[in-house]
Amino acid sequence: MESILRLANGGAGNLAAYLAAHVLLCLLPAFFIAGAMAALIPKTSITRWLGRSAPGQVSYPAAAAAGSLLAVCSCTIVPLFAGIYRKGAGLGPAITFLFFAPAGNVLALAYTGSILGAEFAFARLALCLLFGIGIGLLMAVIFWRDDASHEAEADTAFAERASVGAAATGVLLSLLAVLVAGTLKLWPLTATLGSVTLPLPWAEGWQAALTQWVPFDAAKGEEGVSVQGALLIGLLALIGVAAWKGLEDIVEGANRWTWAALALAAATLIVAALRLTAGPAGLEITLTGRALAVALAMAAVWHFARRLDAEAWQGWLWEAWRFVKQIFPLLVAGVFVVGLVRQLIQPEWIRALAGANDLQGNAVAVGFGVFMYFPTLVEVPVARMFLDLGMHPGPLLAYLMADPELSLQSMLMVAAVIGRTKTFTYVGLVALFSIVAGFTYGAWVDGSSRLAIVAGLALFLGALALPLLALRRWLVHRTEAAPLEHA
Amino acid sequence: MKTVKILGPGCANCRKLEAVVREAAGAAGIEADFVKITDMKAIMAYDLLSTPGLVIDDKLVSSGRIPTQAEVRQWLGA
Repeated sequence: MESILRLANGGAGNLAAYLAAHVLLCLLPAFFIAGAMAALIPKTSITRWLGRSAPGQVSYPAAAAAGSLLAVCSCTIVPLFAGIYRKGAGLGPAITFLFFAPAGNVLALAYTGSILGAEFAFARLALCLLFGIGIGLLMAVIFWRDDASHEAEADTAFAERASVGAAATGVLLSLLAVLVAGTLKLWPLTATLGSVTLPLPWAEGWQAALTQWVPFDAAKGEEGVSVQGALLIGLLALIGVAAWKGLEDIVEGANRWTWAALALAAATLIVAALRLTAGPAGLEITLTGRALAVALAMAAVWHFARRLDAEAWQGWLWEAWRFVKQIFPLLVAGVFVVGLVRQLIQPEWIRALAGANDLQGNAVAVGFGVFMYFPTLVEVPVARMFLDLGMHPGPLLAYLMADPELSLQSMLMVAAVIGRTKTFTYVGLVALFSIVAGFTYGAWVDGSSRLAIVAGLALFLGALALPLLALRRWLVHRTEAAPLEHA
Repeated sequence: MKTVKILGPGCANCRKLEAVVREAAGAAGIEADFVKITDMKAIMAYDLLSTPGLVIDDKLVSSGRIPTQAEVRQWLGA
C-alpha cells in the first residue's frame, strides 16, 4: 500500500513540476501557433506545389513544409497523405510528408526544445528533414511502377491556389516571437531589470510546504515546484474553466468568457516570464528582460489579430482550443505515468542497454520506439526520463525518430492507404534510418569531428542510393522492353 | 429531404460540424438525413485534402473547416 502511494506521489510530483516549469512559456504559445496555422494558413497555399505535375525539387520540400505547417493533427495527416499519394505528387512526397509531420510541427519542436534542450530539437528537425526526404526518394525509386499506374487520376484537388494574408502573417510571426522570447535562454531575456518585494510573510512557509510535498534531487535532474509554479498551475486551471465556457462555441461569436480566457492566458505568460522568489522578507518579484519581451510580442499579436476578420480569428481560437482538448489531457496523463514508472526503472538497466552510442544501444532504442505507442508529444517526457536515467543522447535521438513515426496505429493507417508491402518497406527504412540518425547525433555529441560525421553520412547515403539507382535503371529498361501489363 | 454526409474519422471537428449542420437544419425547418462517413477510402472518393468534409446531396460543399450556420443554411437552400 505504502509503495503504491509512493508511486502515485511520484507521478503527481512529476506532473506538477512539468506544469509549473515547462508547459507554460512553451506549450501555451505553441497551441496558439498550431491553431493559427490550422485556421489562417490556407491549405491550398502549400498543396498547390504538390500536384502531379510538380517536379521533385519542388514537391519534396513542399511535402516537408506541409508536414510542419499543416499537419498538426491526424484529421489532416491521413487525408493529405492519401491525397498526395493517389491524386498528387505520388508516393515519395507523400512519405516525406508522413515522416516529417510528427517531428517538424511547431508543437513537437517547441516541446522538444523546452524539455530536452534546443540542440535536441534542432537535431531532430534537421535529421528528420534530411531522412524524410531520403526515405521518400527511396520509396519512390523502389515502387516507381506504382506512381505510373496513378497517372490517370484527376488532380483537381491540387489546382486551387491561395496565399496567406498580411494580418495572418503578422499574427503567426508575432506568436512565434512570443514563443522564442518565452523559451530562449539568452542574455537580454535573462537580464534582471528591477525587483520589488511584497511583504507576504506566508510565502516562505508555502515554499517549504511545496518542497516537502514534491521533494526533488537536483543532481538526478528532478525539479520541484516553486511558489511561482503553484501560482501558474492555479492560473492554468482558471484558463481551463474560462476556455471551456468561452471557446466551445467560438465559431458563432465571442462571449465574456472568451475575453476572460484570453486575458488569463496573457497574464499567465507574463507571470511565467517574471521571477518570483520566496524569502524571509516576503515574495520577491523580479522583472526580467523576458517578461518585457513577452509583453511586447503579445502586444504585436493583439495588433495584428485585430485586423483579422471575424471568421479568421474565431477559427483560430477554435483550432487552438481543439488542439488543447485533444492533446493536453493525454499529455497530462502521460507525464503522470512517466513520473510513476520512472521510480520502478533502475538507471543501471538503461545504462546497460543504451548507455553508449553503439549498434546495440541504437537498435534497442528504435525497437522500443516501434513497439511502444505513446500519444502525440508524450514521447518527449518519456525521452526526458531516459535521458535522466542515463541513456546516451545518440540512442535517445534514434528513439525520438522512430517512436512517433512507427506506432502501430500509424502503420495500420498507412497500410490501409498504400498496402502492406510498401508499409513493411517503409517501416524497415525508418528503422534503418533512425539507427543511422542516432549514430550520427551520438557521434556529434561525443565530439567526433564534423568532417568524419559528414563523410560517414555521405558514405551511408551513397551505399544506399547507388544500388537503388542501378535497380531503377534496370527496371525502367526492362519495362521499356515489355510495357506495363497491369497499369 | 436532403441528404447530409459528414466526412471524417470522428475527430473533434467532425462532431462540431455535425452539430452545426443539425442546428442550422433545425432552425430552418429543413428535414435532412445524416450519414457519417468514417472510412478513409470512402472519404477519399471525394475531392478533399483535409477533414471534416460536408457533402450535401452528394456535392462536396466544404472541407477542412467548420462553416458557419449562415453558410450551411444557404447550402441547404433555406
